[in-house]
Amino acid sequence: MKTTITVLTLLLFLPAVSFSQQRDTAAEIRELREKLERLEKKMADEEAARAKKMEEEKTAIAEKVKTDVMSEVSTKGRSFFGDMISQTKVGAYGSLRYGTSNLADLNNSFTFRRFVLTTDSPIADRLKAYMELEFERFTRLEVEKSLSPALGGLTSQQAIESTNRSEISLEQAWMQYDIADWLNFRAGAILVPLGRFNINHDDNRWDLPRRSLVDRGVPVLPTTSAWPELGAGFRGDFSVGRQGKVSYEWYVMNGVTLDSEIEQISQTRSGDTTKFAQEIELRPSRGTFSDDLKSGKAIATRWAYSPWLGDEIAASFYWGRYTPDFLPNHPVFSFALDGKKTWGPFEIEGQYVNTWWSGVSRVARGFASRALASESEGEVGDVETEIEFELANLATRKQGYWVDFRYRFWPEFLNQTILGRHFSNPQLVGTLRLEQVWFKDLIKEIAFIGGALTDFEGESRLLNRVTLGLTYRPVPLVALQLAYEYTRTNSGKSLAEVTNFLPARAREFFQHALLVGLAFGF
Amino acid sequence: MLKTLTLFLFLFPAFPRSAPCQEGVFLKEEEAPKAVFPEATAFERRVIPSDAKLQETIKQRMNPAKTSFWEPSYITFIAKKGSSIVGYAAIVEETGKHRPITFIVGVGMDGKVKDVALMVYREPYGGEVRDERFLAQYRGKDLKAPLLPYRDIRNITGATLSAEAIGRGTKKALALIEIVHLQDKK
Repeated sequence: MKTTITVLTLLLFLPAVSFSQQRDTAAEIRELREKLERLEKKMADEEAARAKKMEEEKTAIAEKVKTDVMSEVSTKGRSFFGDMISQTKVGAYGSLRYGTSNLADLNNSFTFRRFVLTTDSPIADRLKAYMELEFERFTRLEVEKSLSPALGGLTSQQAIESTNRSEISLEQAWMQYDIADWLNFRAGAILVPLGRFNINHDDNRWDLPRRSLVDRGVPVLPTTSAWPELGAGFRGDFSVGRQGKVSYEWYVMNGVTLDSEIEQISQTRSGDTTKFAQEIELRPSRGTFSDDLKSGKAIATRWAYSPWLGDEIAASFYWGRYTPDFLPNHPVFSFALDGKKTWGPFEIEGQYVNTWWSGVSRVARGFASRALASESEGEVGDVETEIEFELANLATRKQGYWVDFRYRFWPEFLNQTILGRHFSNPQLVGTLRLEQVWFKDLIKEIAFIGGALTDFEGESRLLNRVTLGLTYRPVPLVALQLAYEYTRTNSGKSLAEVTNFLPARAREFFQHALLVGLAFGF
Repeated sequence: MLKTLTLFLFLFPAFPRSAPCQEGVFLKEEEAPKAVFPEATAFERRVIPSDAKLQETIKQRMNPAKTSFWEPSYITFIAKKGSSIVGYAAIVEETGKHRPITFIVGVGMDGKVKDVALMVYREPYGGEVRDERFLAQYRGKDLKAPLLPYRDIRNITGATLSAEAIGRGTKKALALIEIVHLQDKK
C-alpha cells in the first residue's frame, strides 16, 4: 500500500518535474539563441568594421601612391634653384667647330661658335616664360676704370679686355599666356617667324656645322639669325581634317633698323704717319630693346600647313620701316616659303627668302645730307685722323634659298662598336645642302661731300655654296659633324663682299673648306 | 597697321575652338582608361607595387630598350565590356627633355597597343606628341617593335626626346601588362 502510494505520488509529480525541466531547457535555448544572435551581430559588426578599415586603407594607399607620384614628379621637375623657382628648368645648347680653308687669311682654327643658356618656367597654369642667353665666341670681358687727380689735373682711365668677335646676346625672353591651342598670347623678345630656320635655330637640331647663307652667312633675312625682336602677338595651331594641322604666328614688333656700328682703328704705317680712324657703318640690325629709333612698327607672320605628320609647307612675311626717323621713311619687305617632306629615312627640307629694301638710293641721299661728308681727315704732326661714314650690307633686292637632302641610317653592325653599344637609337645622317643667293644693286661704293651724294655704285652678284656632310648622333641632342664646303661668287670678285664670315682677299672668289663640328644640348 | 591688327583680332573668333594648350593636364586618372577603351563599360582599378623583382622582369621583357623605374607603383585598369574583359591599361611616366610626361597605354588581349593617350605634358616645347596623328602610330605595336623615332615612328621636329620617351613608356606598359595581367591568360 505504502509502495503504491509512493508510486502514485511519483507519477503525480513526475509530469510537473518534467514540465519544469522543459521550461528550463527552453529558457536556455532562448538564452543561447540570444547569445548566438549577439555573437553574429558582433561578428557582422566586426566584419563591417574590418571591411570599412580595409576600404579606408585601400583609399589611403591609393592616395599615398598619388601623393608619392606627384611628389616624385615635383622632385623630378625641380631645378637646383630649389623651391623658390621649383618649376624652372635650366638647359643649354652649344657648338664648336674646327675648320680649314684655302683662303689666305683664314687659318685653320677651333671656333667656339656659341653657348646658349636656356630657362623655361611654367609660372602658373597656362602662363609660362622662356629665355635664351647667348655667348657667341665669348670667353672674357673685363673693364677697368679709374678717375684720379694726377699731374695737377684729373686723369680718367679706362681699359677693356675682351676676345675677338665675341658677343653676349639675349636671343629670346618672352612670356606666353595659353588661352587655347589655337590662341596663345606671347610678348617679349620673340624670334621673328620668317622662314623655318630662325624659329628652329638651335645648333644641335641641324646636321651641318655652319648655318645657311640665307639666314646667317649673307644674310638674305633682313638681319642675321638668330633674329629676335621686341614685340607681342599671337600664335597657335588647329586641326584640319583627321591628319592636317595649321599653325600660325603673328607679331607686331620694333623691327629691323639701320643702326650704327663704330669701328676704331689705330695704325702705324711704314714711311707714313700714324693713323687713327673711326669708321661708322650704318647697317641693318635687329631692332632696339630700348626706345625705338623710328616711329613705325613691323609685322611678321608665318602660316604653316602640315597635311600629315612629318611634312609641312609654310609661307611667311615681314614688313616694317627700316630707316631711323632722321632718314626718309622706307620699308623693308621680306617673304619666305619653306617646307619639309619625308619619305621614310629620306628628308627634303628647304627655305626660300626674298627681301626687298625699298628706296635705297633715297636713303643714301638722306644719309649723305645728314652725315655731310663720307670721309673727313686731318693731320697734326705725325698723326693722321680720319672719320668715315658708310652705308653697308644694303641691296635693293636679295633673294636666295637653301635645300637640304638628308638620309638617316644606322648599319646594325655598328651596334657592337663603341658608336652604338651604349645608345638606344644612334644615327648617321648624310646631308647634301645646295645654296644660292642673288644680289641686285648691292651697295659697292658710296661717297658724299657737303651733304651731297657724289658716288653711289651698286652691283649684281651671285653666291653659290654646296655642302656635303655626314653626322653621327649618339642621342638626339648631340651631333658630331663632318662636312666639306665649296663656296663661290662671281669670278675675280671677293667673297668678303658678299659674305659676313669669310675674310677673302680682293680676288679670292671661291673657297674649299673642311669642317668638323660638335653640337650639343642638355 | 592698325587696320591689320583690328582685322586679325576680329578674325579670331571665327577659328575653330579646340582643347586646351600645349602643356598641361589633359586627362584625369578617372578619365584616362575611357580614353583608350571607349567601348568599355566598367574599369577595375589595380595598384601594382613596383618592386625590384617586377622591375627586373620588365627590364628583361623590354631588352634591348631601356627605361626608367622611378614609379613607386603602377596604376592599372582592367577594362570590361559587360562581364568580359576587353583589355588592360597602365599609367606610366617617362622624362622627355627635362620633365616627366604622364600617359596611359591601353593594351588589347592580344598583347598589342590598343591606344595611347597623353594625360600630363610638362615641357614647354614638343606638345605636338599629344596629337592624335602622332599617337595613332603606336596602335597595333607590340613589345618587339622598336617604337623609336626614324625607325618605326615618324618624328616631330623639336620633339624627338618626347617621342622617344613615349616609346619607352609604351614598352614599359606593354611589359607590365604582359607580366601582371596577360601572363595568366596565356
